[in-house]
Amino acid sequence: MPEDALASGPTDQDTASARVIEVRSLVKRFGNAEVLRGIDLDVRASEVVCIIGPSGSGKSTLLRCIAFLEVYDEGDVRIQGRLLGYRERDGRRSLASEREIDEVRRSVGMVFQHFNLWPHMTALGNVTEALRMVKRMSRRDAEASGLDVLRRVGLEAHAGHYPEQLSGGQKQRVAIARALAMRPRVMLFDEPTSALDPELVGEVLAVMRQLATEGMTMLIVSHEMGFAAHVAGTAIFMDDGRIVEQGQPAQLFAAPRSERLRAFLNTWRERSI
Amino acid sequence: MIGIDTDMIARYGPLLLAGLVTTLRVCALASVIALLAGLVLALLLRTRLLVVRGAARAYVEVMRGTPILVILFLLYYGGPSFGLVLDAEPVGILGLGFYGAGYFAEIFRAGFESIPKGQIEAARMVGLSPRQIVYRIQIPQMLGLIVPPSVNQIIILVKESAVLSIITVAELTKNATQMANETFAVVEPFLAVAVLYWVLIEAIARSGRWIERRVRHA
Amino acid sequence: MIEILADNYGVLIGGAATTVVVSGMAIAIGMVLGLALAFGLLSHRAPLPALCGFYRSFWRGTPILVQLLIVFYMLPQAGIDVAPLVAAIVALSLNTAAFQGEIYRAGLLAIPRGEIEAARMLGIGKWTIRRRILIPQMFRLVLPPLINEAIIILKNSSLVSVIAVTELMRRSQQIASTTFKPLEVYLIAGAIYLALNLVLAHAGRRLEQRMAISGARA
Repeated sequence: MPEDALASGPTDQDTASARVIEVRSLVKRFGNAEVLRGIDLDVRASEVVCIIGPSGSGKSTLLRCIAFLEVYDEGDVRIQGRLLGYRERDGRRSLASEREIDEVRRSVGMVFQHFNLWPHMTALGNVTEALRMVKRMSRRDAEASGLDVLRRVGLEAHAGHYPEQLSGGQKQRVAIARALAMRPRVMLFDEPTSALDPELVGEVLAVMRQLATEGMTMLIVSHEMGFAAHVAGTAIFMDDGRIVEQGQPAQLFAAPRSERLRAFLNTWRERSI
Repeated sequence: MIGIDTDMIARYGPLLLAGLVTTLRVCALASVIALLAGLVLALLLRTRLLVVRGAARAYVEVMRGTPILVILFLLYYGGPSFGLVLDAEPVGILGLGFYGAGYFAEIFRAGFESIPKGQIEAARMVGLSPRQIVYRIQIPQMLGLIVPPSVNQIIILVKESAVLSIITVAELTKNATQMANETFAVVEPFLAVAVLYWVLIEAIARSGRWIERRVRHA
Repeated sequence: MIEILADNYGVLIGGAATTVVVSGMAIAIGMVLGLALAFGLLSHRAPLPALCGFYRSFWRGTPILVQLLIVFYMLPQAGIDVAPLVAAIVALSLNTAAFQGEIYRAGLLAIPRGEIEAARMLGIGKWTIRRRILIPQMFRLVLPPLINEAIIILKNSSLVSVIAVTELMRRSQQIASTTFKPLEVYLIAGAIYLALNLVLAHAGRRLEQRMAISGARA
């Protein structure tokens, strides 16, 4: 039922093919090194896209550029059609102000590898902070909303606990709830389970899977090939700053076209027996 | 603050420089006292004898909890009451020195404690004497850790030396006050003196960083 | 010594109260200025870090006595006539702001960058981030060096006696000159300072424990 949904889901205004994220010719340099060498990427409403690849391929940098936590050097990132990070006037480009960036980025939520919870606030405090400070909800309304979304990730009982009292998996679920509370149109996940002990990975993936079934648009950088295989609609393989292959996970993993993807998949298979 | 009378500064240059020389002399001697006494105190803080350790701890706490001015007044004005009659400058040097010793004791103590016990145990098992352990194992490793806070403490000592002017030692601040009294100016004497202290402290800080680099690569 | 204490305890308590008030106000004003300075030092807006660095360098790099005299004598020259007490508080505040600024800067840097990124992704504004996320955590982190700085301010306040502020040191000098017993008087003064600092240190430790219990460690 719609009210049970974790996600806000597509609205009547969106068509199934509406592009929530568009990336064109994205280039990012750190000093002299080119880390992203011209990336083109589309994420459509309700799509679940998984980016995989070896360390150093630039996948996290790509995600962070899409979030504009890193300033990209060339190309475009558009969120729901609006250019993120820069202003364009008469064909000339200048860096946008924090306010403008916030406005375009309003519909994007992000979950980080190291959770980034605020240690001096409870789980509920973390979740309601933006509701109160940005949406200016009253404390009562924010807490009601917050408890609701904590319930959806299964952590209502821990609302009054501080991050240091929670396990890694619980912390990440609180982080997901915190992002969800703001009702984003698309969620970015930067290696959400990489910092977790293996036994705790499952609970986080379960929440992410549920989000996907409810129609949330998701862009995920991950090593969890199983998740990519079973939940993602599209998998993208990156290496050395470029997108090498992309397509449906089943096809990509069963029949890789490029040597690099083949090699990458082999190492993964070897590791997991 | 509109114009600075450079003639006045030139005329009083010698007086201010004389004050600077006194400051340098006083600080150098006081630093030596503070470093040596501080090292002794740090070692005393590590003995097993409770009385000695307690006395050393009390000394450190008193020095850290009392203003330097009180210590100086006790020595200079209160000294004669218990047989200590010295000129202002020696009192200043001793006061600064033994006051600073309390702080250096803490710095050195932290340095000693930073070396894992395991290393000392290994050294003892291999047969090194306690003295060898201090000189060959502890102190060489401590140096890197100790230099920055020690340099900092010396800088603090230099700044505190200005207080000696209150017990009439003719150091930099005293001479600046004299200049101010004689000329009725305020800007020239005190800003000139502030700049001199600033330069002196910057020089000490630079030397400190140089020493730190040398010590770390040793 | 007991009789001196008995005869003059009213004056001494008055002096101690002035000491506490002067120090307290300097710490409080220094806290506000110091926070501003810390954000200025960490800012990316061109002249701000340099200006703040200059301020920090001057007020940390010159003796507090000289700073006191500069403020005391220069304010009237600039047309601002203030009581010695006000000049004392101004000078002490400007001084401690530089040290507190450095303390807060280090504390702010210790907070993981990711927490700020998460807040930015949620659309939380810069000043709200500072107020709700950075500063609360920073104070827990910097409590030890901050208490240390408070103790230093308390001791530095003894110097304002030279500009005729009737705090504890000045009162002690007055009593010493009327009783001709400097040793006893300054011992009492030293003991009072020590007591004040021990109370401050103890309060600091209790505050640290309280903050740790409220469950907030990074």
